Amino acid sequence: MKRLSFKLIVFSLAVISTVELSSCKGKTDKSTTTTSPDTTSTTTTAPVEVASDEALRNGVKDATKDYPSVTATVADGEVTLTGTLERSKLPALMQSINSLNPKKVNNQLTLN
Amino acid sequence: MAIQQKYQELINAARTSGVNNLQVREQNNVLYIDGEAPTGKVKDQLWDIYNRIDPDFRSGDLVLDVKASSAAGTKAKVITETSNLNIRKGPGTDQPIVGKAAHHEMVTVVNQTNDQWTLIRTDAGEEGYVYNRYLEKA
Repeated sequence: MKRLSFKLIVFSLAVISTVELSSCKGKTDKSTTTTSPDTTSTTTTAPVEVASDEALRNGVKDATKDYPSVTATVADGEVTLTGTLERSKLPALMQSINSLNPKKVNNQLTLN
Repeated sequence: MAIQQKYQELINAARTSGVNNLQVREQNNVLYIDGEAPTGKVKDQLWDIYNRIDPDFRSGDLVLDVKASSAAGTKAKVITETSNLNIRKGPGTDQPIVGKAAHHEMVTVVNQTNDQWTLIRTDAGEEGYVYNRYLEKA
């Protein structure tokens, strides 16, 4: 929803700027009328979407199901991993956790 | 900006390896890199670079979410350690198990439901959801 409303704002701004530019037609040179909003670069600066704590809790439950020695806690968008894990399994677990749209991942695991 | 410099090699690798819709954003001292990797191998390479720059991913200053999606109809390999892979009725470990795919079995992707779950079909005709971590996509 956030992304959608942001896109609407960007679109509205684009429309407004186009209207303003077109009102200047004839008064200024051609370069102003060829200006178009660079939507690609605007989109990349959209704020990062962080999942709700409830969604994160559901997600980490699935992600850690096969690692019973790992505990994942969620608070204010941050996922904190504690417990023990074999180092070779860490990348796979981190990939799963990172795909849940957390604000931050705190890896406090003891690796062996 | 300091975080981007720290992970510059990773950002450059993502740019040159064909990651689609790549977004690099910094917010509250955390760097977020999102995009869609063309293959699972590219995703793994990016994670290798991440692990090299920040050993064991300890700093908590990067959220790397580069997906390796696969198109419907493509094949994927079951990469559990040794066991069979649970096929579930819905996308969640709270969902009932409706079948199993064998270790190293090739299954067909029906659709990529979300970043965690993929709907698959086995050659035996079993259909359901499996956890993405256990699928190696072409």
